Amino acid sequence: MILSNALLLAAVTAASGGQDAQQRPWNIHVEHIYTGNGRNLTKGLVVVSGGRIAAITAGADEQSDRPEDTLRAYAITPGLIDAGVRITSWESVEQSREVTPEMRVADALDPFSLDWDRQVKSGVTTVLASPVDRNVIGGLSVVVKTAGPESIAERTVKADAVLRGSMGSDPSAGNHAAFGRPTDFYSRRPTTRMGVEWEWRNAFFNTALGLNEKDPGRATLVAALQGKMPVFIQAWTTQDIRTAVFLREEVESRPEFAGAGMNTPRFVIDAAAEAWKEPQLLARSHTPVILPPFPADGRTRDGAQMAWNVAKVMKDNGIPFALSSHGSDDVDQRLAIQAGYAMSGGITFDDALAAVTSTPAKLLGVDGRVGTLEVGKDADLVLWSGEPFQPGARVLATIVDGVLRYEGWSAVQGAAVER
Amino acid sequence: MTTTMTRATYAATYAMTLCAAFLHFAPNASASDGRLAIRVGRIITNNGPDIENGTIYIEGGRIQSVGTDAGRWDAEVIDHPELVAFPGWVEAHSIRGMDRPNENIEVAPFLDVRDSIDPINFYFEDCLRQGVLAINVQQGSFCAIGGQGRVVKPFGLTIEDMTLRPSSGIKVVATRPGRSRALQVQALRRAFRDLRDHLEKLVVDKKDGKDSARREELFQGRDPDKEENKKGRPMEGDAPWKVKNFETVPRGEVDEKQSPLLRLVEGKMMAFVACDGAVSVVQALEIARENGFLANTVLVVEGDAWKAADRIAEAGVPVVLAPQLLYTERDPMTGKEIETFVPGVFREKKVRFALQSLNPSAQSLWFQAATCVGYGIPRDEAIAAATKVPADILRLGERLGTIEKGKDGNILLLSGDPLAVTTSVEYVVLDGNLVYDRSKDVRVQQVLEGLEQPNAAPAGADEASDVDPHGGSTKEGDTKSKTDKKKD
Repeated sequence: MILSNALLLAAVTAASGGQDAQQRPWNIHVEHIYTGNGRNLTKGLVVVSGGRIAAITAGADEQSDRPEDTLRAYAITPGLIDAGVRITSWESVEQSREVTPEMRVADALDPFSLDWDRQVKSGVTTVLASPVDRNVIGGLSVVVKTAGPESIAERTVKADAVLRGSMGSDPSAGNHAAFGRPTDFYSRRPTTRMGVEWEWRNAFFNTALGLNEKDPGRATLVAALQGKMPVFIQAWTTQDIRTAVFLREEVESRPEFAGAGMNTPRFVIDAAAEAWKEPQLLARSHTPVILPPFPADGRTRDGAQMAWNVAKVMKDNGIPFALSSHGSDDVDQRLAIQAGYAMSGGITFDDALAAVTSTPAKLLGVDGRVGTLEVGKDADLVLWSGEPFQPGARVLATIVDGVLRYEGWSAVQGAAVER
Repeated sequence: MTTTMTRATYAATYAMTLCAAFLHFAPNASASDGRLAIRVGRIITNNGPDIENGTIYIEGGRIQSVGTDAGRWDAEVIDHPELVAFPGWVEAHSIRGMDRPNENIEVAPFLDVRDSIDPINFYFEDCLRQGVLAINVQQGSFCAIGGQGRVVKPFGLTIEDMTLRPSSGIKVVATRPGRSRALQVQALRRAFRDLRDHLEKLVVDKKDGKDSARREELFQGRDPDKEENKKGRPMEGDAPWKVKNFETVPRGEVDEKQSPLLRLVEGKMMAFVACDGAVSVVQALEIARENGFLANTVLVVEGDAWKAADRIAEAGVPVVLAPQLLYTERDPMTGKEIETFVPGVFREKKVRFALQSLNPSAQSLWFQAATCVGYGIPRDEAIAAATKVPADILRLGERLGTIEKGKDGNILLLSGDPLAVTTSVEYVVLDGNLVYDRSKDVRVQQVLEGLEQPNAAPAGADEASDVDPHGGSTKEGDTKSKTDKKKD
């Protein structure tokens, strides 16, 4: 049923992937256009030109005078955006200090990694790549396209978009105090949650009081405290979410920060598995969240419990939320199916779509370019064989910046879309 | 008449009450003479067109009619015009539900999962929740020849209550994880050689007038005077090797450690042959041919076993697919990843295939069937791969897989389309008894809304942070202890 309207691409011979890929015009005919801003069209045409969306029309005539530029599918959505993606290796964080706000993860990304292809295959076109959470404040994240020139700089949508750090047990996991055994690499602090929070406060207070003038990370911390750069903090459990929110409220209320003009930080809680437990806290402090993948049994990392209605609780409390696959490319853990699970937890299709497109785009400050289907925006598009986010639909094609980067109809052996 | 009614109603209420407390503490649900009429908005019969606003009438645990007939006037009625009726999903092969899936004996066809299945295992509760109403429980793959499996329902307090088909098949392992192929194949061949030696020795001993086999028979507790034990028969089946004069040996004198394997060779027992790749498929088929059990073989395939699809098609055996439906490999030249949709390959080669759950708690058989639809397999075939086909493979096609007259009274009442991510199993009727009601399922409330049962340990209190999302078999015991803690 889902597939009954899915149509096979008429004739696409364009090379996809690799350096040969060319920007070219596309006429994409679909049964459903899901724009991501709530205005959905039935039987429509999306025209791509020069790497951007040139036109979106409803009820368009399917006859085309340029069959080679024509694509057909059941549905089209904006390219998906994962703001919590784990696409970086352990080499992406400097572990000689706990607070390294000046480190740029962009310098550690490998444009040749197969992880990018896997993201493209699952319909993800833009990601926030962050340092791993081995440090308390790991460094600067970057918003990049998942496909394009084999250079991170050329794929970057927004450099130094976010300051990334973590609460909870990750930054102290494996650390131990130096005494009692031979000193090794893990003889470092913090070793506890309170130690982790102390590092945050120490960094913030030193910045506000001007005690870190020679610190290369100071400029970043200043920008973060002034709210010019959002701070993404990983916090799985209620305990850690509280710590993050209270930290921000402390910054907002203490005279040291007000005096220095550094009392307006913007926090986003990443991996907020237990956000459903205290939604009022997040609503009160206007703190958006990024939700980790839904676990089958409700248990996630750090001992947190994630209820399947967490997205609905966020929606009901007016808390902006984005969904994330955390970079997993397992068939049951991709970003698209996370949106499906969120729907089974009680939110509508449009809200689920927003949580993987427009909302993360806004959180990352790149909504001027990506996140919705609008004329003039980047032609980052996903073509679906059926209703998006259902396991019975798959990605037929992914277009990034107007270039066809994945052709699902021919890429998977043994798969057929014709009926 | 009133008595009957009261009893039926009472049984249902009792079952539902216990359901709310703990699904598996309910009384014996089979063998009911209850009458039940289920009225729903849509019946997906899985055997022809859907029926709108239809009624399913169940009596004596069997479906009596499907359509508009409401059955007897005194039948209990379940009326849900907003719901969809669907036959239960059938799990063709699973190593879950046991206290542990493996025994450390290399050749042990005499073992039976009957002695290992734990009726209150959390897995069965989850099966009910996911609408899986028949499960073929088989031993794991850490052996050469494993014990006998059993097809069970996910409901009942004893194994006998749960059983749909005992001795559903023997586990044969073509490649054992962590062991060389040569050694494993040698172990398999030796097992059949040992069987042959044993049988030949019985013939010689009989001729020599030795009575050790008879004494062993008595020692093992079989009755030599029982008709089936007394008689000898020539060896049956397709095996190219035959034991001459085997009819001189009373069947009761075959050692109990060997007799299940003899049943396999004689075509009276199925083999679920685990193959982790194309190479082991070839070896498995070879061994099956050498010992005459090809016709009763089912291959449980994973890895790149699909590359031997032609061989499998030629052999005419069905396959049960590993949960991971998308096979990924690196192109040695370009370094790019090549993906293969495994069910698509088998479908193209006209091999009958059944699906296995990816994860019994969320990505169950519905998810697997839906994924098949996503990759272009027609919807009815995708659904069949988790209903009719496994039922046929398990020789239960007469009882399971569709909603039609004469079949077991197993009905799922779903909130929507069986393949939609937003659909949930609202009620389960098993053998004509209501055994599951989602609105009273505390664990659903816990996972969906985070509501915790009183005295429940906080999630992750026992450091569950790295639980294998796919419910790795080795963790079965852990999972159980966690859930048990919550029960208390």
